[in-house]
Amino acid sequence: MIPPPRRHVLKAAVRGTLLLIAVCATFVTAGSGLRAPQDSSGLPAPSAVVQPHVYVSLDPVPREREFEVAVQAEIARGFHVNSHTPSEMYLIPTTLTPNLPAGIRLDGTIYPPGQLEKFPFSPGEPLSVYTGRVTMRLKLSADAHAPLGATAIRMTLRYQACNSTTCLPPVNLPVSVRLEMAAAGTQGRAAHPEIFGAASAK
Amino acid sequence: MKMRAAAYVLFLALLVVAASFYGWKSRAAFRKWQAAGGASTSSLGNEPDVTFANLQGQSETLASLKGKVVLVNFWATWCDPCKEEIPGLMELQEKYAGRGFTVLGVAMDDDGKSVVQPFVQKTQFDVGGRSMNINYPIVLGDDDVATKFGGLFGFPVSFLISRDGKVEKKYLGELTEDEMEKEIEGLL
Repeated sequence: MIPPPRRHVLKAAVRGTLLLIAVCATFVTAGSGLRAPQDSSGLPAPSAVVQPHVYVSLDPVPREREFEVAVQAEIARGFHVNSHTPSEMYLIPTTLTPNLPAGIRLDGTIYPPGQLEKFPFSPGEPLSVYTGRVTMRLKLSADAHAPLGATAIRMTLRYQACNSTTCLPPVNLPVSVRLEMAAAGTQGRAAHPEIFGAASAK
Repeated sequence: MKMRAAAYVLFLALLVVAASFYGWKSRAAFRKWQAAGGASTSSLGNEPDVTFANLQGQSETLASLKGKVVLVNFWATWCDPCKEEIPGLMELQEKYAGRGFTVLGVAMDDDGKSVVQPFVQKTQFDVGGRSMNINYPIVLGDDDVATKFGGLFGFPVSFLISRDGKVEKKYLGELTEDEMEKEIEGLL
């Protein structure tokens, strides 16, 4: 039996050790794993320049309902990707292409407009690009025969990124999200209004 | 009380070790970037044993250019900074081709010849007020070629190779003509 005062000290030591592990983990991951993998020139891997986050507008999604899937792309600081409608035909546009399961139909894809920016390598014509955080939305419909239960929506996000001096090769980044398909007439809860706005609650 | 003090000392000691490790990693990464990202100052070894397809569908080896100073320039039709430096490369080709120098443009487009050939045939560049097509050989590259050059994440990237096949320098990003002229003159 450990006497009470010593137990107190022991608890403090345990707490301190746990805190220490957390702090060490933060330092170690900051120094390696969480950074985008880099080549010997300090450039990130092309697939690490964009971090996608995926959202579904309804939970669950009832059959015979329209819903949306949004891909929010966070573009690494200092980089840009071409918009969906780049300024020049030879530039590679950003595209989001779904590979939908049976019973789910694509009604349209909404891309944000690009920002017109000039770069040291294109001092004349501004380029239509995305920087920072941009959201692309797939407008979808579930039909009466969509499979019930958990369903994965798989997509490919294609982009080509540059910084002010260098371009990275184009990337086909696989993206997916799971949703729950419910019977027609089920009340689907509006999810992520910060992404889809009040419209998703209808 | 002693145990508590010991626990805190241990905590602080490990914190210092972790911070030092992080700092060391950051400095090491910066040094590596400095060494490789700009023009490196020492030979990067022998040129890789690499075979390209040219726009006529024939194979060309890098080794076949031994005896010349070669600037291997990796580019792509979708890469604006790459295209920005092409007129400068054309000037270098005009100036030094007669003295045993050549630029070798390696196009890295996934779609290969189907996009590169029309681009090369149709695109005119302004070189000192004259409108010209690319005046140096263009070949097609792929992942295998990139791997043999040490893995290429970004474009443009160029390698300056001496007459005896040594990779003397690597340049990431747009080249500056003045710097290139000095380097080429030094190797001719």
